[in-house]
Amino acid sequence: MSKLSERITIFTGNIGSGKTELAINYALRLKQEHDRVGIVDLDIVNPYFRTRVFRDYLEQNGLKVVAPAGELAGADVPALPAAILGILEDEGIKGVFDVGGDDIGATALGRFKPLLPEGSYGMFFVVNTCRPFTRTVEGIMQVLKAVEKASRLKVTGLVSNTNLGSGTDIATIETGHNIVTEAASRLNVPVTFMAVRNELAAELAQRFPQENLFPLNLHVLPPWLRG
Amino acid sequence: MAKILMKGNEAIGEGAVRAGCRYFFGYPITPQSELPHYLAKRMPEVGGTYLQSESETAAANMVFGAAGAGARVMTSSSGPGISLMQEGISYIAGAELPCVIVNMIRGGPGLGNIAPAQSDYFQAVKGGGHGDYRLICLAPASVQEIIDLMQDAFDLADKYRNPVMLLADGVLGQMMEPVELGEEKEITVPDRPWAATGRKKGGPKRLINSLYIVPEECEKHNLKLGEKYAIIAREEQRWEEYRLDDAKMVVVAFGTCARICKAAVDSARAEGMAVGLIRPITVWPFPNDVFAGVKETANNFLVVEMNMGQMIEDVRLAVSDARPVHFYGRVGGMLPVARDVLNEIRKLYDGGAAK
Repeated sequence: MSKLSERITIFTGNIGSGKTELAINYALRLKQEHDRVGIVDLDIVNPYFRTRVFRDYLEQNGLKVVAPAGELAGADVPALPAAILGILEDEGIKGVFDVGGDDIGATALGRFKPLLPEGSYGMFFVVNTCRPFTRTVEGIMQVLKAVEKASRLKVTGLVSNTNLGSGTDIATIETGHNIVTEAASRLNVPVTFMAVRNELAAELAQRFPQENLFPLNLHVLPPWLRG
Repeated sequence: MAKILMKGNEAIGEGAVRAGCRYFFGYPITPQSELPHYLAKRMPEVGGTYLQSESETAAANMVFGAAGAGARVMTSSSGPGISLMQEGISYIAGAELPCVIVNMIRGGPGLGNIAPAQSDYFQAVKGGGHGDYRLICLAPASVQEIIDLMQDAFDLADKYRNPVMLLADGVLGQMMEPVELGEEKEITVPDRPWAATGRKKGGPKRLINSLYIVPEECEKHNLKLGEKYAIIAREEQRWEEYRLDDAKMVVVAFGTCARICKAAVDSARAEGMAVGLIRPITVWPFPNDVFAGVKETANNFLVVEMNMGQMIEDVRLAVSDARPVHFYGRVGGMLPVARDVLNEIRKLYDGGAAK
Protein backbone atom coordinates (compact mmCIF):
# COMPACT_ATOMS: atom_id res chain seq x y z
CA MET A 1 0.00 0.00 0.00
CA SER A 2 1.21 3.48 -0.75
CA LYS A 3 0.05 7.02 -0.10
CA LEU A 4 0.08 7.39 3.67
CA SER A 5 -0.23 11.10 3.12
CA GLU A 6 -2.49 12.64 5.74
CA ARG A 7 -0.90 14.00 8.86
CA ILE A 8 -3.92 12.99 10.92
CA THR A 9 -5.70 9.74 10.12
CA ILE A 10 -8.91 8.92 11.94
CA PHE A 11 -10.50 5.46 12.02
CA THR A 12 -14.23 5.44 12.66
CA GLY A 13 -16.92 2.87 12.07
CA ASN A 14 -19.55 0.59 13.45
CA ILE A 15 -18.83 -1.15 16.79
CA GLY A 16 -16.57 -4.13 16.07
CA SER A 17 -15.75 -3.14 12.48
CA GLY A 18 -11.99 -3.49 13.06
CA LYS A 19 -10.92 0.06 13.89
CA THR A 20 -8.39 -0.86 16.57
CA GLU A 21 -6.73 -3.54 14.46
CA LEU A 22 -6.52 -1.11 11.55
CA ALA A 23 -5.26 1.80 13.63
CA ILE A 24 -2.48 -0.37 15.10
CA ASN A 25 -1.43 -1.76 11.72
CA TYR A 26 -1.66 1.65 10.08
CA ALA A 27 0.43 3.37 12.75
CA LEU A 28 3.09 0.65 12.64
CA ARG A 29 3.23 1.02 8.85
CA LEU A 30 3.55 4.80 9.14
CA LYS A 31 6.44 4.28 11.55
CA GLN A 32 8.39 2.56 8.77
CA GLU A 33 8.27 5.78 6.76
CA HIS A 34 8.14 8.50 9.40
CA ASP A 35 10.25 9.23 12.41
CA ARG A 36 7.51 10.39 14.75
CA VAL A 37 4.16 8.62 14.83
CA GLY A 38 1.54 8.82 17.55
CA ILE A 39 -1.50 6.60 18.12
CA VAL A 40 -4.44 7.98 20.06
CA ASP A 41 -6.94 5.73 21.84
CA LEU A 42 -10.14 7.74 21.70
CA ASP A 43 -12.34 4.73 22.47
CA ILE A 44 -14.74 5.61 25.28
CA VAL A 45 -17.15 2.81 24.35
CA ASN A 46 -15.37 -0.53 24.16
CA PRO A 47 -14.04 -1.77 27.51
CA TYR A 48 -11.68 -4.58 26.43
CA PHE A 49 -10.33 -4.81 22.91
CA ARG A 50 -8.92 -1.33 22.43
CA THR A 51 -5.59 0.29 21.65
CA ARG A 52 -4.47 0.95 25.25
CA VAL A 53 -4.26 -2.81 25.83
CA PHE A 54 -1.35 -2.89 23.39
CA ARG A 55 0.52 0.10 24.88
CA ASP A 56 3.75 -1.79 25.74
CA TYR A 57 3.98 -3.45 22.35
CA LEU A 58 3.32 -0.21 20.48
CA GLU A 59 5.82 1.74 22.55
CA GLN A 60 8.46 -0.93 21.97
CA ASN A 61 7.85 -0.33 18.29
CA GLY A 62 8.61 3.36 18.68
CA LEU A 63 5.08 4.73 18.67
CA LYS A 64 3.93 7.49 20.97
CA VAL A 65 0.82 6.08 22.65
CA VAL A 66 -1.76 8.56 23.87
CA ALA A 67 -4.34 6.80 26.02
CA PRO A 68 -5.58 6.97 29.61
CA ALA A 69 -2.63 5.73 31.65
CA GLY A 70 -2.18 3.86 34.90
CA GLU A 71 -5.31 3.11 36.86
CA LEU A 72 -7.40 5.25 34.51
CA ALA A 73 -6.74 2.76 31.68
CA GLY A 74 -9.40 0.42 33.06
CA ALA A 75 -11.68 3.07 34.51
CA ASP A 76 -15.19 3.03 33.14
CA VAL A 77 -15.20 6.79 32.54
CA PRO A 78 -15.00 8.75 29.29
CA ALA A 79 -11.75 10.49 30.24
CA LEU A 80 -9.51 11.79 27.45
CA PRO A 81 -5.85 12.67 28.07
CA ALA A 82 -4.71 16.23 27.39
CA ALA A 83 -1.78 14.87 25.34
CA ILE A 84 -4.23 14.38 22.44
CA LEU A 85 -3.83 18.09 21.75
CA GLY A 86 -0.07 17.56 21.40
CA ILE A 87 -0.67 15.17 18.52
CA LEU A 88 -3.14 17.54 16.87
CA GLU A 89 -0.97 20.68 17.22
CA ASP A 90 2.50 19.26 16.52
CA GLU A 91 3.00 19.57 12.75
CA GLY A 92 6.00 17.25 12.93
CA ILE A 93 4.15 14.14 14.04
CA LYS A 94 1.84 11.78 12.20
CA GLY A 95 -1.23 10.97 14.27
CA VAL A 96 -3.51 7.95 14.06
CA PHE A 97 -6.82 8.08 15.95
CA ASP A 98 -8.69 4.95 17.04
CA VAL A 99 -12.23 6.18 17.69
CA GLY A 100 -14.94 4.29 19.58
CA GLY A 101 -17.72 2.57 17.65
CA ASP A 102 -20.91 4.04 16.25
CA ASP A 103 -22.09 7.62 16.69
CA ILE A 104 -21.74 7.21 20.46
CA GLY A 105 -18.01 6.56 20.17
CA ALA A 106 -17.60 9.29 17.53
CA THR A 107 -19.03 11.89 19.92
CA ALA A 108 -15.63 12.00 21.64
CA LEU A 109 -14.13 13.21 18.36
CA GLY A 110 -16.48 16.17 17.95
CA ARG A 111 -14.69 18.06 20.71
CA PHE A 112 -11.58 18.32 18.49
CA LYS A 113 -13.34 19.77 15.44
CA PRO A 114 -11.76 23.25 15.90
CA LEU A 115 -8.34 21.64 15.47
CA LEU A 116 -9.38 19.60 12.46
CA PRO A 117 -10.28 21.95 9.60
CA GLU A 118 -11.49 20.31 6.41
CA GLY A 119 -8.60 19.01 4.32
CA SER A 120 -6.28 18.60 7.31
CA TYR A 121 -7.22 15.03 8.08
CA GLY A 122 -8.27 11.74 6.56
CA MET A 123 -11.28 10.22 8.27
CA PHE A 124 -11.80 6.62 7.28
CA PHE A 125 -14.99 4.73 7.93
CA VAL A 126 -14.21 1.04 8.43
CA VAL A 127 -16.82 -1.38 7.10
CA ASN A 128 -17.20 -5.07 7.75
CA THR A 129 -20.37 -6.23 6.02
CA CYS A 130 -20.43 -9.35 8.21
CA ARG A 131 -21.30 -7.16 11.19
CA PRO A 132 -24.88 -6.42 12.29
CA PHE A 133 -26.28 -3.08 11.02
CA THR A 134 -23.68 -2.63 8.19
CA ARG A 135 -24.63 -5.61 6.08
CA THR A 136 -26.24 -3.52 3.35
CA VAL A 137 -25.48 -0.28 1.51
CA GLU A 138 -28.36 1.40 3.34
CA GLY A 139 -27.10 0.17 6.71
CA ILE A 140 -23.59 1.45 6.00
CA MET A 141 -24.90 4.86 4.94
CA GLN A 142 -27.08 5.15 8.03
CA VAL A 143 -24.26 4.42 10.51
CA LEU A 144 -21.83 6.61 8.55
CA LYS A 145 -24.17 9.60 8.57
CA ALA A 146 -24.71 9.19 12.32
CA VAL A 147 -20.93 9.09 12.88
CA GLU A 148 -20.43 12.24 10.80
CA LYS A 149 -23.15 14.04 12.70
CA ALA A 150 -21.76 13.06 16.11
CA SER A 151 -18.13 13.83 15.21
CA ARG A 152 -18.96 16.98 13.21
CA LEU A 153 -16.34 15.78 10.70
CA LYS A 154 -16.58 14.38 7.18
CA VAL A 155 -15.69 10.84 6.21
CA THR A 156 -13.08 11.04 3.44
CA GLY A 157 -12.95 7.38 2.50
CA LEU A 158 -14.20 3.88 3.23
CA VAL A 159 -12.02 1.01 4.36
CA SER A 160 -13.21 -2.29 2.99
CA ASN A 161 -12.63 -4.66 5.92
CA THR A 162 -15.14 -7.48 5.53
CA ASN A 163 -14.14 -10.52 7.54
CA LEU A 164 -15.42 -13.30 9.77
CA GLY A 165 -12.40 -13.35 12.03
CA SER A 166 -10.77 -16.76 11.85
CA GLY A 167 -13.50 -17.94 9.48
CA THR A 168 -12.71 -15.46 6.69
CA ASP A 169 -12.50 -16.74 3.13
CA ILE A 170 -12.06 -15.07 -0.25
CA ALA A 171 -15.75 -15.34 -1.16
CA THR A 172 -16.76 -13.52 2.03
CA ILE A 173 -14.33 -10.69 1.30
CA GLU A 174 -15.49 -10.44 -2.30
CA THR A 175 -19.17 -10.22 -1.40
CA GLY A 176 -18.44 -7.58 1.22
CA HIS A 177 -16.16 -5.58 -1.01
CA ASN A 178 -18.88 -5.27 -3.65
CA ILE A 179 -21.26 -3.83 -1.07
CA VAL A 180 -18.60 -1.40 0.20
CA THR A 181 -17.79 -0.29 -3.35
CA GLU A 182 -21.46 0.37 -4.03
CA ALA A 183 -21.80 2.35 -0.77
CA ALA A 184 -18.68 4.39 -1.62
CA SER A 185 -20.08 5.29 -5.00
CA ARG A 186 -23.45 6.30 -3.51
CA LEU A 187 -21.64 8.41 -0.90
CA ASN A 188 -19.25 9.85 -3.46
CA VAL A 189 -16.13 8.93 -1.44
CA PRO A 190 -13.31 6.58 -2.47
CA VAL A 191 -12.59 3.11 -1.11
CA THR A 192 -9.31 4.25 0.42
CA PHE A 193 -8.04 0.74 0.86
CA MET A 194 -8.98 -2.84 1.27
CA ALA A 195 -7.72 -4.45 4.46
CA VAL A 196 -7.00 -8.18 4.47
CA ARG A 197 -5.19 -10.68 6.61
CA ASN A 198 -1.57 -11.17 5.49
CA GLU A 199 -2.11 -14.77 4.35
CA LEU A 200 -4.85 -13.75 1.93
CA ALA A 201 -3.10 -10.69 0.49
CA ALA A 202 -1.39 -12.35 -2.49
CA GLU A 203 -4.56 -13.99 -3.80
CA LEU A 204 -6.62 -10.84 -3.31
CA ALA A 205 -4.02 -8.70 -5.10
CA GLN A 206 -4.63 -10.86 -8.16
CA ARG A 207 -8.39 -10.67 -7.86
CA PHE A 208 -8.56 -6.95 -7.14
CA PRO A 209 -5.62 -5.42 -9.05
CA GLN A 210 -7.35 -2.03 -9.04
CA GLU A 211 -7.61 -1.86 -5.23
CA ASN A 212 -5.17 -0.46 -2.72
CA LEU A 213 -4.49 -3.54 -0.55
CA PHE A 214 -3.48 -3.21 3.08
CA PRO A 215 -2.23 -6.53 4.52
CA LEU A 216 -2.83 -6.85 8.28
CA ASN A 217 -0.96 -8.60 11.07
CA LEU A 218 -3.57 -9.54 13.67
CA HIS A 219 -3.07 -8.27 17.22
CA VAL A 220 -6.59 -8.10 18.62
CA LEU A 221 -7.18 -11.73 19.56
CA PRO A 222 -9.09 -13.65 22.25
CA PRO A 223 -6.96 -14.77 25.21
CA TRP A 224 -6.61 -18.40 24.10
CA LEU A 225 -5.10 -17.34 20.77
CA ARG A 226 -2.49 -15.09 22.35
CA GLY A 227 0.96 -16.47 23.17
CA MET B 1 -27.32 -18.69 5.13
CA ALA B 2 -24.32 -16.36 5.37
CA LYS B 3 -22.35 -16.21 8.56
CA ILE B 4 -22.16 -13.05 10.60
CA LEU B 5 -19.47 -11.75 12.96
CA MET B 6 -20.95 -10.99 16.37
CA LYS B 7 -19.92 -10.00 19.84
CA GLY B 8 -21.20 -12.28 22.56
CA ASN B 9 -23.38 -9.48 23.93
CA GLU B 10 -24.95 -8.89 20.52
CA ALA B 11 -25.50 -12.62 20.08
CA ILE B 12 -27.47 -12.76 23.32
CA GLY B 13 -29.69 -9.99 21.99
CA GLU B 14 -30.18 -11.58 18.58
CA GLY B 15 -30.66 -15.03 20.11
CA ALA B 16 -33.34 -13.64 22.41
CA VAL B 17 -35.18 -11.92 19.55
CA ARG B 18 -35.09 -15.14 17.54
CA ALA B 19 -36.41 -17.06 20.55
CA GLY B 20 -39.47 -14.82 20.55
CA CYS B 21 -38.43 -12.44 23.32
CA ARG B 22 -40.16 -9.11 22.70
CA TYR B 23 -39.53 -7.31 25.98
CA PHE B 24 -36.22 -6.18 27.39
CA PHE B 25 -35.79 -4.09 30.53
CA GLY B 26 -32.35 -3.19 31.75
CA TYR B 27 -29.82 -0.65 32.84
CA PRO B 28 -26.37 -0.25 31.26
CA ILE B 29 -23.28 -1.59 33.00
CA THR B 30 -19.91 -2.59 31.60
CA PRO B 31 -19.09 -5.18 30.29
CA GLN B 32 -22.59 -6.01 28.99
CA SER B 33 -23.74 -2.65 27.64
CA GLU B 34 -23.52 -3.80 24.00
CA LEU B 35 -26.52 -6.01 24.76
CA PRO B 36 -28.97 -3.19 25.62
CA HIS B 37 -27.29 -1.11 22.88
CA TYR B 38 -28.07 -3.86 20.38
CA LEU B 39 -31.62 -4.42 21.57
CA ALA B 40 -32.38 -0.70 21.60
CA LYS B 41 -31.91 -0.90 17.82
CA ARG B 42 -33.24 -4.42 17.26
CA MET B 43 -36.43 -4.53 19.36
CA PRO B 44 -38.20 -1.80 17.36
CA GLU B 45 -37.45 -3.75 14.15
CA VAL B 46 -39.55 -6.68 15.41
CA GLY B 47 -42.26 -4.68 17.16
CA GLY B 48 -40.76 -5.38 20.57
CA THR B 49 -40.20 -3.13 23.55
CA TYR B 50 -36.81 -1.97 24.79
CA LEU B 51 -36.92 0.07 27.95
CA GLN B 52 -34.02 1.46 29.93
CA SER B 53 -35.13 1.33 33.53
CA GLU B 54 -34.11 3.80 36.20
CA SER B 55 -32.23 1.10 38.10
CA GLU B 56 -31.62 -2.63 38.16
CA THR B 57 -34.16 -2.98 40.97
CA ALA B 58 -36.75 -1.47 38.65
CA ALA B 59 -35.63 -3.68 35.74
CA ALA B 60 -36.08 -6.89 37.76
CA ASN B 61 -39.56 -5.78 38.81
CA MET B 62 -40.48 -4.82 35.24
CA VAL B 63 -39.46 -8.36 34.26
CA PHE B 64 -41.63 -9.68 37.13
CA GLY B 65 -44.61 -7.73 35.82
CA ALA B 66 -44.11 -8.58 32.14
CA ALA B 67 -43.57 -12.28 32.91
CA GLY B 68 -46.68 -12.30 35.08
CA ALA B 69 -48.62 -10.89 32.15
CA GLY B 70 -47.34 -13.75 29.97
CA ALA B 71 -44.55 -12.05 28.01
CA ARG B 72 -41.26 -13.60 26.88
CA VAL B 73 -38.99 -11.20 28.69
CA MET B 74 -35.31 -10.71 29.47
CA THR B 75 -33.03 -8.49 31.48
CA SER B 76 -29.26 -8.33 31.70
CA SER B 77 -26.57 -6.81 33.85
CA SER B 78 -23.22 -7.50 35.45
CA GLY B 79 -22.20 -8.24 39.07
CA PRO B 80 -23.33 -5.15 41.02
CA GLY B 81 -26.50 -4.80 38.94
CA ILE B 82 -27.37 -8.47 39.37
CA SER B 83 -26.97 -8.02 43.13
CA LEU B 84 -29.50 -5.18 43.02
CA MET B 85 -31.92 -7.45 41.14
CA GLN B 86 -31.89 -10.25 43.71
CA GLU B 87 -35.08 -9.29 45.53
CA GLY B 88 -36.99 -9.28 42.24
CA ILE B 89 -35.41 -12.55 41.09
CA SER B 90 -36.48 -14.25 44.32
CA TYR B 91 -40.04 -12.94 43.82
CA ILE B 92 -40.04 -14.22 40.22
CA ALA B 93 -38.82 -17.65 41.34
CA GLY B 94 -41.38 -17.66 44.16
CA ALA B 95 -44.19 -16.74 41.79
CA GLU B 96 -42.94 -19.36 39.31
CA LEU B 97 -42.57 -17.10 36.32
CA PRO B 98 -40.45 -17.73 33.23
CA CYS B 99 -37.82 -15.17 32.25
CA VAL B 100 -34.17 -14.95 31.25
CA ILE B 101 -31.56 -13.03 33.24
CA VAL B 102 -28.07 -12.43 31.83
CA ASN B 103 -25.01 -11.87 34.02
CA MET B 104 -21.80 -10.93 32.17
CA ILE B 105 -19.59 -11.19 35.22
CA ARG B 106 -16.96 -8.57 36.02
CA GLY B 107 -14.29 -8.36 38.71
CA GLY B 108 -15.62 -8.03 42.29
CA PRO B 109 -16.52 -7.91 45.11
CA GLY B 110 -18.14 -4.53 45.51
CA LEU B 111 -17.62 -2.13 42.66
CA GLY B 112 -14.58 -4.18 41.62
CA ASN B 113 -13.68 -3.41 38.03
CA ILE B 114 -14.88 -3.89 34.46
CA ALA B 115 -12.56 -6.79 33.65
CA PRO B 116 -13.83 -10.38 33.16
CA ALA B 117 -14.43 -12.78 36.08
CA GLN B 118 -16.42 -15.84 37.18
CA SER B 119 -16.77 -14.79 40.77
CA ASP B 120 -20.59 -14.67 40.73
CA TYR B 121 -20.82 -18.47 40.47
CA PHE B 122 -22.03 -18.91 44.06
CA GLN B 123 -24.56 -16.12 43.63
CA ALA B 124 -25.90 -17.73 40.46
CA VAL B 125 -26.08 -21.38 41.49
CA LYS B 126 -26.58 -21.27 45.26
CA GLY B 127 -29.37 -18.75 45.48
CA GLY B 128 -28.33 -15.12 45.34
CA GLY B 129 -31.62 -13.86 46.62
CA HIS B 130 -33.51 -14.99 49.70
CA GLY B 131 -35.47 -18.17 50.17
CA ASP B 132 -35.27 -21.73 48.88
CA TYR B 133 -35.13 -21.38 45.14
CA ARG B 134 -32.98 -22.31 42.18
CA LEU B 135 -32.11 -20.69 38.90
CA ILE B 136 -31.48 -22.85 35.88
CA CYS B 137 -28.06 -21.60 34.96
CA LEU B 138 -26.47 -21.89 31.50
CA ALA B 139 -22.79 -21.16 30.89
CA PRO B 140 -21.88 -20.81 27.19
CA ALA B 141 -18.27 -20.82 26.01
CA SER B 142 -18.56 -19.41 22.49
CA VAL B 143 -20.61 -16.86 20.61
CA GLN B 144 -22.23 -19.62 18.53
CA GLU B 145 -23.19 -21.46 21.68
CA ILE B 146 -24.81 -18.29 23.00
CA ILE B 147 -27.04 -18.15 19.91
CA ASP B 148 -27.93 -21.83 20.31
CA LEU B 149 -28.57 -21.61 24.06
CA MET B 150 -30.81 -18.54 23.98
CA GLN B 151 -33.67 -20.54 22.48
CA ASP B 152 -33.13 -23.25 25.10
CA ALA B 153 -32.99 -20.64 27.85
CA PHE B 154 -36.47 -19.33 27.04
CA ASP B 155 -37.86 -22.83 26.45
CA LEU B 156 -36.51 -24.12 29.77
CA ALA B 157 -37.91 -21.07 31.54
CA ASP B 158 -41.33 -21.88 30.08
CA LYS B 159 -41.13 -25.61 30.61
CA TYR B 160 -40.42 -25.24 34.32
CA ARG B 161 -41.94 -21.80 34.93
CA ASN B 162 -38.64 -20.76 36.42
CA PRO B 163 -36.13 -17.96 35.82
CA VAL B 164 -33.12 -19.01 33.75
CA MET B 165 -29.77 -17.29 34.10
CA LEU B 166 -27.21 -17.03 31.32
CA LEU B 167 -23.88 -16.86 33.12
CA ALA B 168 -20.84 -15.61 31.23
CA ASP B 169 -17.97 -13.21 31.68
CA GLY B 170 -16.90 -9.99 30.04
CA VAL B 171 -14.56 -11.66 27.56
CA LEU B 172 -17.36 -13.72 26.07
CA GLY B 173 -19.53 -10.61 25.91
CA GLN B 174 -16.88 -8.50 24.20
CA MET B 175 -15.18 -10.94 21.85
CA MET B 176 -16.30 -11.43 18.27
CA GLU B 177 -16.72 -14.78 16.54
CA PRO B 178 -18.42 -15.88 13.34
CA VAL B 179 -21.87 -17.35 13.95
CA GLU B 180 -24.47 -19.16 11.91
CA LEU B 181 -27.83 -17.63 12.79
CA GLY B 182 -29.89 -20.06 10.73
CA GLU B 183 -33.32 -19.29 9.34
CA GLU B 184 -35.54 -17.04 11.39
CA LYS B 185 -38.33 -19.24 12.67
CA GLU B 186 -41.86 -18.35 13.58
CA ILE B 187 -41.90 -18.76 17.34
CA THR B 188 -45.02 -19.89 19.11
CA VAL B 189 -44.78 -18.99 22.75
CA PRO B 190 -46.42 -21.79 24.78
CA ASP B 191 -49.86 -21.17 26.11
CA ARG B 192 -49.84 -19.53 29.54
CA PRO B 193 -53.14 -20.27 31.23
CA TRP B 194 -51.74 -18.85 34.47
CA ALA B 195 -50.87 -15.40 33.07
CA ALA B 196 -52.65 -12.37 34.53
CA THR B 197 -54.05 -10.83 31.38
CA GLY B 198 -57.34 -9.43 32.68
CA ARG B 199 -60.58 -11.24 33.54
CA LYS B 200 -62.33 -10.29 30.30
CA LYS B 201 -65.97 -10.39 31.41
CA GLY B 202 -65.90 -12.91 34.19
CA GLY B 203 -62.98 -15.17 33.36
CA PRO B 204 -61.19 -16.93 36.21
CA LYS B 205 -59.22 -14.83 38.66
CA ARG B 206 -55.48 -15.22 38.18
CA LEU B 207 -53.09 -14.02 40.80
CA ILE B 208 -49.32 -13.61 40.37
CA ASN B 209 -47.95 -13.81 43.85
CA SER B 210 -45.12 -15.02 46.04
CA LEU B 211 -46.83 -14.26 49.34
CA TYR B 212 -47.85 -17.35 51.33
CA ILE B 213 -48.74 -15.89 54.67
CA VAL B 214 -49.94 -19.16 56.23
CA PRO B 215 -46.86 -21.27 57.10
CA GLU B 216 -48.58 -24.52 56.15
CA GLU B 217 -49.32 -23.08 52.71
CA CYS B 218 -45.78 -21.72 52.34
CA GLU B 219 -44.33 -25.09 53.27
CA LYS B 220 -46.53 -26.77 50.67
CA HIS B 221 -45.32 -24.25 48.11
CA ASN B 222 -41.68 -24.88 49.00
CA LEU B 223 -42.15 -28.64 48.75
CA LYS B 224 -43.74 -28.20 45.33
CA LEU B 225 -40.80 -26.04 44.21
CA GLY B 226 -38.41 -28.64 45.64
CA GLU B 227 -40.01 -31.36 43.54
CA LYS B 228 -39.62 -29.19 40.46
CA TYR B 229 -35.95 -28.55 41.19
CA ALA B 230 -35.37 -32.27 41.72
CA ILE B 231 -36.79 -32.97 38.27
CA ILE B 232 -34.62 -30.24 36.70
CA ALA B 233 -31.53 -31.57 38.50
CA ARG B 234 -32.23 -35.02 37.08
CA GLU B 235 -33.33 -34.10 33.55
CA GLU B 236 -31.43 -31.00 32.49
CA GLN B 237 -27.74 -31.57 33.19
CA ARG B 238 -25.59 -30.59 30.24
CA TRP B 239 -21.89 -30.74 29.69
CA GLU B 240 -19.21 -31.07 27.04
CA GLU B 241 -16.53 -33.75 27.19
CA TYR B 242 -13.22 -32.91 25.55
CA ARG B 243 -10.51 -35.57 25.00
CA LEU B 244 -11.87 -37.43 28.00
CA ASP B 245 -11.23 -40.97 26.71
CA ASP B 246 -8.48 -42.64 28.76
CA ALA B 247 -7.85 -39.34 30.62
CA LYS B 248 -5.83 -39.87 33.79
CA MET B 249 -6.26 -36.26 34.77
CA VAL B 250 -9.42 -34.24 34.18
CA VAL B 251 -9.58 -30.45 34.02
CA VAL B 252 -12.97 -28.94 34.90
CA ALA B 253 -13.78 -25.43 33.71
CA PHE B 254 -16.75 -23.48 32.37
CA GLY B 255 -17.19 -20.56 29.96
CA THR B 256 -14.13 -18.58 28.89
CA CYS B 257 -11.93 -20.59 31.26
CA ALA B 258 -12.85 -23.77 29.40
CA ARG B 259 -11.65 -22.22 26.12
CA ILE B 260 -8.29 -21.45 27.71
CA CYS B 261 -8.12 -24.89 29.31
CA LYS B 262 -8.79 -26.65 26.00
CA ALA B 263 -5.62 -25.10 24.65
CA ALA B 264 -3.77 -26.32 27.76
CA VAL B 265 -5.26 -29.82 27.39
CA ASP B 266 -4.08 -29.93 23.77
CA SER B 267 -0.56 -28.95 24.83
CA ALA B 268 -0.57 -31.55 27.61
CA ARG B 269 -1.70 -34.24 25.18
CA ALA B 270 1.10 -33.19 22.81
CA GLU B 271 3.52 -33.81 25.70
CA GLY B 272 2.12 -37.30 26.14
CA MET B 273 -0.04 -36.67 29.20
CA ALA B 274 -3.52 -38.22 29.14
CA VAL B 275 -5.51 -35.13 30.09
CA GLY B 276 -9.14 -34.33 29.27
CA LEU B 277 -11.69 -31.66 30.05
CA ILE B 278 -15.23 -31.56 31.41
CA ARG B 279 -17.02 -28.32 30.61
CA PRO B 280 -20.29 -27.88 32.50
CA ILE B 281 -22.82 -26.17 30.20
CA THR B 282 -25.43 -26.12 32.95
CA VAL B 283 -23.76 -25.00 36.18
CA TRP B 284 -27.11 -25.50 37.88
CA PRO B 285 -28.08 -28.24 37.63
CA PHE B 286 -24.44 -29.22 37.97
CA PRO B 287 -23.59 -32.14 35.64
CA ASN B 288 -22.98 -34.71 38.38
CA ASP B 289 -23.77 -37.60 36.04
CA VAL B 290 -20.59 -37.25 33.97
CA PHE B 291 -18.42 -37.46 37.10
CA ALA B 292 -19.94 -40.77 38.19
CA GLY B 293 -17.96 -42.65 35.52
CA VAL B 294 -14.94 -40.39 35.28
CA LYS B 295 -14.11 -40.49 38.99
CA GLU B 296 -13.48 -44.22 38.61
CA THR B 297 -10.94 -43.82 35.79
CA ALA B 298 -9.18 -40.50 36.44
CA ASN B 299 -6.45 -40.16 39.05
CA ASN B 300 -7.20 -36.56 39.89
CA PHE B 301 -9.05 -33.41 38.90
CA LEU B 302 -7.97 -29.82 38.35
CA VAL B 303 -10.65 -27.14 38.55
CA VAL B 304 -9.75 -23.86 36.81
CA GLU B 305 -11.86 -20.78 37.48
CA MET B 306 -11.65 -17.01 37.34
CA ASN B 307 -12.45 -16.80 41.07
CA MET B 308 -11.02 -18.00 44.38
CA GLY B 309 -12.56 -21.46 43.98
CA GLN B 310 -16.34 -21.69 43.79
CA MET B 311 -17.34 -24.40 41.30
CA ILE B 312 -14.69 -26.60 42.91
CA GLU B 313 -17.16 -27.23 45.76
CA ASP B 314 -19.63 -28.75 43.30
CA VAL B 315 -16.86 -30.79 41.66
CA ARG B 316 -15.83 -32.13 45.08
CA LEU B 317 -19.45 -33.10 45.80
CA ALA B 318 -19.71 -34.78 42.39
CA VAL B 319 -16.44 -36.69 42.91
CA SER B 320 -17.45 -37.39 46.53
CA ASP B 321 -13.85 -37.47 47.73
CA ALA B 322 -13.02 -40.49 45.58
CA ARG B 323 -10.11 -38.55 43.98
CA PRO B 324 -8.12 -35.41 44.81
CA VAL B 325 -9.56 -32.22 43.37
CA HIS B 326 -7.05 -29.39 42.87
CA PHE B 327 -7.59 -25.76 42.04
CA TYR B 328 -6.00 -23.09 39.92
CA GLY B 329 -7.57 -19.65 39.54
CA ARG B 330 -6.97 -16.06 38.62
CA VAL B 331 -9.08 -13.35 40.20
CA GLY B 332 -10.01 -9.70 40.21
CA GLY B 333 -10.43 -9.49 36.45
CA MET B 334 -7.27 -11.39 35.53
CA LEU B 335 -7.42 -14.27 33.05
CA PRO B 336 -5.58 -17.55 33.39
CA VAL B 337 -3.23 -18.15 30.47
CA ALA B 338 -2.98 -21.56 28.83
CA ARG B 339 0.72 -21.92 29.64
CA ASP B 340 0.10 -21.44 33.38
CA VAL B 341 -2.70 -24.01 33.30
CA LEU B 342 -0.30 -26.35 31.50
CA ASN B 343 2.27 -25.81 34.26
CA GLU B 344 -0.33 -26.78 36.85
CA ILE B 345 -1.13 -29.91 34.85
CA ARG B 346 2.59 -30.81 34.69
CA LYS B 347 2.95 -30.31 38.45
CA LEU B 348 -0.06 -32.45 39.32
CA TYR B 349 -0.09 -35.07 36.59
CA ASP B 350 2.27 -37.59 38.20
CA GLY B 351 2.20 -36.74 41.87
CA GLY B 352 -1.32 -35.43 42.18
CA ALA B 353 -2.97 -38.74 43.02
CA ALA B 354 -0.75 -39.22 46.06
CA LYS B 355 -1.48 -35.85 47.58
